[in-house]
Amino acid sequence: MGEVLKGRAWVFGDDVDTDLIYHNKYLAETDPKKMPQYSFEYYPGKEKFAKGVKPGDFVVAGKNFGCGSSREHAVYCLKEAGVPVILAETCSRIYYRNAINNAYPVLFVKGLSEAIKCGRIKDGDSLSVELDTGEINDVTSGAHFHGDAVSDLERDIMDAGGLIPYLKAEKGRR
Amino acid sequence: MGKTFAEKALGRAAGREVSANEVVTVEPDFCMSHDNTGPISRTFKKIGVTSAWKPERLVVILDHGVPAPSSDHAVNHKEAREFMAAQGALNFYDVTSAGGVCHQKFCEEGFALPGLVVIGSDSHTCTYGAFGTFATGIGRTEMAAAWATGQIWLKVPESIKINVTGRFNRGVTAKDFILKVMGDVKSDGADYMSVEFHGDGIEGMSIAGRMTLCNLGIEMGAKNAVCRPDGKILDFIKGREKSRNWEALWADADAEYAREINYDLGEIEPGVAKPHTVDNYAAIGEVAGTKVSQAFLGTCTNGRLEDLRAAAEILSGKRITVRMIVIPASWEVYRAAMRDGTIDTLLDAGCIVCNSGCGPCLGAHMGTLAPGETCISTANRNFKGRMGNKDSFIFLASPYTVAASALAGEISDPREVL
Amino acid sequence: MGKTMIMKIMERASGKEVKIGDRVWCEIDLSTARDFGGANCTLQFDEITDKKGRVWDPAKIAFTFDLQAPSHSEKVSANQKIIREFAKRQGIEKVFDINWGIGQHVLLENGLVKPGDVILGTDSHMNLLGGVAAFATGVGNTDIAASWLNGTNWFRVPETMRIEVTGEFSCGVYMRDLLTLLVGDLGAGGMDFLAVEFVGETIDRSSLAERITLCSMVTEMSGKIGLILPNGPVLDWLAERTGADGDLVRQRVRDIAPDDDAPYCEVHRYDISKLEPMASCPDAPDNVKTVRSIAGEAVDQVHIGSCTNGRFSDISAAFEVLRKGGFKVSPKVRTIITPATREVMAQCAREGFIEKFLDAGVVFTNPTCSLCTAEHYGALPSGDVGCSTTNRNFIGKVGKGSHTYLMSPASAMATAVRGVVTDPRDILC
Repeated sequence: MGEVLKGRAWVFGDDVDTDLIYHNKYLAETDPKKMPQYSFEYYPGKEKFAKGVKPGDFVVAGKNFGCGSSREHAVYCLKEAGVPVILAETCSRIYYRNAINNAYPVLFVKGLSEAIKCGRIKDGDSLSVELDTGEINDVTSGAHFHGDAVSDLERDIMDAGGLIPYLKAEKGRR
Repeated sequence: MGKTFAEKALGRAAGREVSANEVVTVEPDFCMSHDNTGPISRTFKKIGVTSAWKPERLVVILDHGVPAPSSDHAVNHKEAREFMAAQGALNFYDVTSAGGVCHQKFCEEGFALPGLVVIGSDSHTCTYGAFGTFATGIGRTEMAAAWATGQIWLKVPESIKINVTGRFNRGVTAKDFILKVMGDVKSDGADYMSVEFHGDGIEGMSIAGRMTLCNLGIEMGAKNAVCRPDGKILDFIKGREKSRNWEALWADADAEYAREINYDLGEIEPGVAKPHTVDNYAAIGEVAGTKVSQAFLGTCTNGRLEDLRAAAEILSGKRITVRMIVIPASWEVYRAAMRDGTIDTLLDAGCIVCNSGCGPCLGAHMGTLAPGETCISTANRNFKGRMGNKDSFIFLASPYTVAASALAGEISDPREVL
Repeated sequence: MGKTMIMKIMERASGKEVKIGDRVWCEIDLSTARDFGGANCTLQFDEITDKKGRVWDPAKIAFTFDLQAPSHSEKVSANQKIIREFAKRQGIEKVFDINWGIGQHVLLENGLVKPGDVILGTDSHMNLLGGVAAFATGVGNTDIAASWLNGTNWFRVPETMRIEVTGEFSCGVYMRDLLTLLVGDLGAGGMDFLAVEFVGETIDRSSLAERITLCSMVTEMSGKIGLILPNGPVLDWLAERTGADGDLVRQRVRDIAPDDDAPYCEVHRYDISKLEPMASCPDAPDNVKTVRSIAGEAVDQVHIGSCTNGRFSDISAAFEVLRKGGFKVSPKVRTIITPATREVMAQCAREGFIEKFLDAGVVFTNPTCSLCTAEHYGALPSGDVGCSTTNRNFIGKVGKGSHTYLMSPASAMATAVRGVVTDPRDILC
């Protein structure tokens, strides 16, 4: 309980689509471990993300993160890179499902889009994030945010370790 | 002593009498290149020139990856497009329905003419020999140098004479014949040489069939391959000629050959080249029953109207059982096959009909193979990995055999379905 | 309080009464995968069942090949083979290989989609099947693999937005233009997590192809599903295609019709009589302008096709523009047409369209997703500008450093004819 994650912020805008997160050029890849090398290759100004990201770093984005394709690669490439949680104002529903199904947390953070636009949270800022409470502190800028936790069913799937382990535990039957 | 075709054609270009094994420097009548034009243009610029010696002699036809199957291909195309625009874009065939496989297009457009000397940065440039052209493939650096200087040195080749008599039995085609020849001569049997096809067997053959023969000259190592430009050829080129410099040349009856081989077309039966070499010949009976995963009909070797019609003849009113990719060699072929209902027949049989281009022949797109898969193909090479994966298998065969095999899901003798 | 269409669909599929916001487990009618993500699904299924597991119902699983049909790389070929072998091992007969066309369209044409069905697929545009009132949704490979275990999956019961459309399209204006207008009005996140019901006289009169176009782009507004209740000729076509299920199709339509007092979180009304040709400008679907206002912009390539606008009537609309434009495309642009399915292609061949397109300079490809996915036919080099009837123009989507305008098939063809962005009314009307 109450574990606090600490890491650097990689900050993105609104409507970050799945081609920007993981480009269609690399869709034939089936091994999640090989996916991080292509993360954000097509995002202008973030071409160095794949090389520069360290385990524990956070992806911070505005509204509608992960819009577009159903490719689960866009979740794997960040999860496998060691990004512990996505902080976004909102994220697209397919992306959200894919994240939950892989027990990969997404926090919905009110006001994040605006905060990114006016520079209250920037690339390289040190963040501390408490997953259980949704409390987010930008240690560098002093800004404070609150992220919403997921609903009960999603929480159950997350706690089981993802959809597959959840179903295997036979919780899925009505 | 008489002269061979190669001696006459190169002698004419050199402006003097020449004999085999002499080295001559000649001005090419046309220089053909395709998607590799971009890289060639980079080398060309390194030479320090901006304009080709005669821009009207450059012919560029995009075909290897059309429409661009990746952004890398697209960048390459753009480079070719920009280079040709700078040269006046006189003979540039872009990704439009004016294009097609470069060799097919080159001939349809009337660049392949009797007696001309043509170089191309593609090994199957030898196809133009069907029109009595001395045509040979060269590398990229040499092409850049030819563009810059308007000259190329060539050793006058020794020649092999293949005497062909008789007519094909039903279900047997020029492809079956040339596969047999390749099996006999072997893939290095005509190294550096000029292969001449003689006899009434050739006269009875369609232009498309002759193109198939000459196209595969390179697979025996030949510098060029050639048939006599007869009435059929002269009729075809009428009104298409892109050069006035042509002249119908042919070897003298008493010319000297390194080797002569005789064939009777009536004795040829359907055959294949087994993996992984072009000269690994087998008659159809030896391989019938081999399971296939994919069938491919197309390419500069066998993507012409009569090839498509042959497949349609087999497939009409039937359903294929393995995937079959059909790629007309040019849009002229595509249009003709559309008009006469051939495309309809192939679609109804379950074939996938793609736009004109090289397709999966060189593994770039449109049907690359997976490990362990087997393809029966009308193309020209069955090298290991040619169509993608190195653990896949390619059998080369005629359009009839390919269609019959797609029907059965295994290699089949087309004579049994015809 | 009444029920919306999606609520009724989810009640049928879950077997219990639902409220908005509930998480419910639904029975899956059809769980599909394509050569996009398909190998990820089968590999994952094999992994979680130690290669010993059987899928819950082979008859309810289908595979389609459209991402790279035919394959353009070894890796894709290997993935396609993995799928074929999995299907064989599991006794899955519905394998629509590379010679069929775009997945959802092939499923529809083959009578595998009924109103009220719950359908999963590894394609974010699965929801175009909402055009016949199926709840079809794009999901990742984990969702697919999970559904193969026991034939169920979880969904949140969404709020529903209602969009009423009245009026008739004027000359040169199409459903695609309405759609583009909607994307501009509502924005990329405008339907986030919502279901949408399209209603009104314009919708009632619309063809199957138009309904598909409309519902396909719900994804681009982050919606869950756009639904149109089949009626008239669309219902007849659907009943015919589904064969023995024809009566069931009509029964389903009655069962899932929304109640008069169903709750809608938003209602939008559009009169399309004065609508103009619209375009999504680089580099976002919701960067919308009238075609008139960007007329004259240079383009290097025009592409007509995709799951959004690749049906016969779409190609037919383009053909009409080409005809009026003198049967010639500008030599300044490369023009590529890709039919959605082999059935569409055969129809184009029969009608003599293909020949005319070829005469005009158009490259006509086999049915596939074409440049819309994974860099296929018509990828663009850096610096090139494309004009396309596909559904996404994200930065670098079809090649790094390239930019794309999205518009209707008629606008795209008008652009091909003139060589610069052109309002189709200048040629057609």
